[in-house]
Amino acid sequence: MTQLSATQYKRRLKRIAEHPAMSAENITADRASMDKAAAIMIGIGALLLALTAAGAVIVNGRHALASYAVGVYAVTAISLGAMFWVMVFELVRSGWSAGVRRQFENVMMNIPLCVVLIAPILIFELAAGGVLFHWMMGDADEYLVNKKSAYLNPAFLAVRFLLYGGIWILLAMKLWGYSMAQDQTGDRYLVNKARFTSSWGMLLFALSVAFFAFDFLMSPDYRFFSTMWGVYYFAGGTFSSIAVVAIICCLAKFFGRMTGAITAEHTHDMGKLMFGFTVFWGYIAFSQYFLIWYSNIPEEVAWYTHRKENGWEVLAWLLVFGHFLIPFIILLQRPVKRSLVGLAIVGVWLLVMTTIDKTWIVRPMVYIRDFAQNDPGPAGWWLDVVAAAGVFAVWGGFLVRRIARVPLIPVRDPRLLKALKHKNYV
Amino acid sequence: MALADYLPIPTSKLPAPLRGPSTKFVLEDGTPVHGMLAQYSKTPDLVHAVEAVRDAGYKVWDSFSPFPIHGMEESMGFARTKLPYIIGVAGLSAAAMGYLLQWWISNDYQMVVQGKPYTAWEPFVPITFEIGILITAFTTLLGMFAFNGLPRHHHPLYQSERFLSSSDDKFFVYIEATDERFDPEATRKLLEKTHPDHIELIGQRD
Repeated sequence: MTQLSATQYKRRLKRIAEHPAMSAENITADRASMDKAAAIMIGIGALLLALTAAGAVIVNGRHALASYAVGVYAVTAISLGAMFWVMVFELVRSGWSAGVRRQFENVMMNIPLCVVLIAPILIFELAAGGVLFHWMMGDADEYLVNKKSAYLNPAFLAVRFLLYGGIWILLAMKLWGYSMAQDQTGDRYLVNKARFTSSWGMLLFALSVAFFAFDFLMSPDYRFFSTMWGVYYFAGGTFSSIAVVAIICCLAKFFGRMTGAITAEHTHDMGKLMFGFTVFWGYIAFSQYFLIWYSNIPEEVAWYTHRKENGWEVLAWLLVFGHFLIPFIILLQRPVKRSLVGLAIVGVWLLVMTTIDKTWIVRPMVYIRDFAQNDPGPAGWWLDVVAAAGVFAVWGGFLVRRIARVPLIPVRDPRLLKALKHKNYV
Repeated sequence: MALADYLPIPTSKLPAPLRGPSTKFVLEDGTPVHGMLAQYSKTPDLVHAVEAVRDAGYKVWDSFSPFPIHGMEESMGFARTKLPYIIGVAGLSAAAMGYLLQWWISNDYQMVVQGKPYTAWEPFVPITFEIGILITAFTTLLGMFAFNGLPRHHHPLYQSERFLSSSDDKFFVYIEATDERFDPEATRKLLEKTHPDHIELIGQRD
């Protein structure tokens, strides 16, 4: 952008503004009905979360907290995945994504909500002296817990959580701020500022996401360790954030918005990324399992052993086929990747699968010490659905609210011209 | 098309596009006509000419340019290649074969490795994956060659002095005589309407 003269730049913004796809009704959502939908979603979510709280009393507190945590970790991964994509698009100065980037930013701005949703998990863990976090419990293996206590102790965990939340909110606010300012002023240098923020932000993002995954999804079973864990959690967010954006775009198209701004070409590119990162998830998830299975070190392999018995093996095989093989075969098809409806359907499927992935990771923690005593049986399974659905509904409600409040595409992004003319030559 | 030029198949048994040069039309000295070549000096001229030929319904023809032109596939009316489906079938069956091979060997000649089950699926995955990738890559490359009629060492077009500049600064449309619609008069008329620099008939000389 910087090599353009001021007149050339002004002319470019004018050409963007005059593009037929940029008419006001095409790029703004109907706020009144969107707000109504958001209120309904948040209401349903609150109701389901209240049911979860009731389930904590009626069925089992540990079970309820684990089910709630499953939903929270899933939506956190999605929001973080969206922030990853925003930073990647800024870093590589990607032209094609200028239009869809706003939807990724909308999903990214749910990060503060996610931090708020994670907080109760931590509070319950600290207050109860360990609910799912086995290293907090009194009867944990003393030798190992003592060895790891420099890192695994409640005070440091709380500090780390505040640090992760602070980093994510700071990055999200900065990137969002630049994008909003650009909508208002059209200042071309905001692109460069967002790019600079993404450069150091990406490093902090990688470390904070990896350590968040270590702390909240891996270390509850304090014996287990895997250096791939951070990547595993991150991989779960990459394709699912694209799935959410595909669903948003599909609904926007259904209500007659973004016509000409989001075309089959953009859909195709999102489909390619969704395909690639679904395969990436399968690749690293299998590699992690494969190495641990082969080396057969008791403290590592026990984590997988718990998840390959007592019925958890059903979920494990469901992930192999439903999370990797079936989406792999479906997303190989070019027509699916070029169809927003097709991509949205696969997207819904992948969101279900990524939630089942988190279920498979978190839920066995409830039973790991004493299966028979804590197992509420199928009578408690409704809690898993209700808690995850409640978290997703609240999260989706805030997302819908935000979508209605800003233009559907970054209206003065200088790269928008390239995005509007984008075409895949393959 | 290329296939008949280097495969020892009786040309009469091949489908029309693969039958090789037509002997229906001959040049003044008696050599069979291989096709008609039109030369252009501007990219838009070429694109418009290509669209006119496509709309006239020709099937056995090609265009030549010193550099890639975006959107040429649509202008020429290419159907999408069937290669991905062949690759898909080949890759998936190769992966299945790779898995079965390992399962058969491990089941038939049982050896204890690290105390793992004889036919555990985990160690088979990398090799299954690699064989799938290998055969997919081979099928892609060789299938592309087969569909494009490559490798091919000679083409009657190389007789044309003008055609040499197809790698420099000129654009060409070439309609082969094997096309059902090819007719020296009608085809020339069609090409003349697209304002070429030159039109010439290419003979089938060895």
